[in-house]
Amino acid sequence: MSAAAGEVLPDIPELAFDTGLPGFPDATRFVLERFGDEGSPFSLLRGLDADGVEFLVVPPTVFFPDYAPEIDDETVDRLGIASPDDALLLAIVTVGEPVESSTANLVGPVVVNRHTRKAAQVLVDELGWDLRQPLVAR
Amino acid sequence: MLVLTRRANQSIMIGNDVVVTVLDVRGDHVRIGIDAPHSVAVHRDEVFKELEQQNRAAASPDKSALAGLDALRPDRR
Repeated sequence: MSAAAGEVLPDIPELAFDTGLPGFPDATRFVLERFGDEGSPFSLLRGLDADGVEFLVVPPTVFFPDYAPEIDDETVDRLGIASPDDALLLAIVTVGEPVESSTANLVGPVVVNRHTRKAAQVLVDELGWDLRQPLVAR
Repeated sequence: MLVLTRRANQSIMIGNDVVVTVLDVRGDHVRIGIDAPHSVAVHRDEVFKELEQQNRAAASPDKSALAGLDALRPDRR
């Protein structure tokens, strides 16, 4: 099933990543909060554990309207997703220097169940999408 | 590294909850089945390592750099 698109992410006070994220296996609790001016599509995924790591995220369809990966059944089960509306899709942004060279991770999107507040970063084997997809086409 | 030799349809138990089964062997490809609880993440190693690397590169960005990001939005260009 593919997640419903959303241009602005809601604020969510506590998300549970049961297995953390690759590279951060102990980072299991996060806050999702809007970042930037009114109307900014960016949010911050802020870790609540000690040495809380933070990630800048964005709904991938803001920059890539055609991005609609299928989320595997295992993940759907694990996060308790019952319908596409339950799911939010986030892409982690790697901020570049200069900022125009920033990229989005479209191979490892974060899937959030807005109701159960369970989340996971998943691997999506979609043809054509990059681990470092430039936000601005060259 | 613990090294074991298995034939097709033989399995390995890791801890109490993870079972790795060799499903079949064809040429230089081995198909492997993994039974593990949902709390255990299972990934192909090389893709997982790339994902780890990219997460580390993305982690805790310098917030002062973020002012320029909003200007990149397709509706603002």
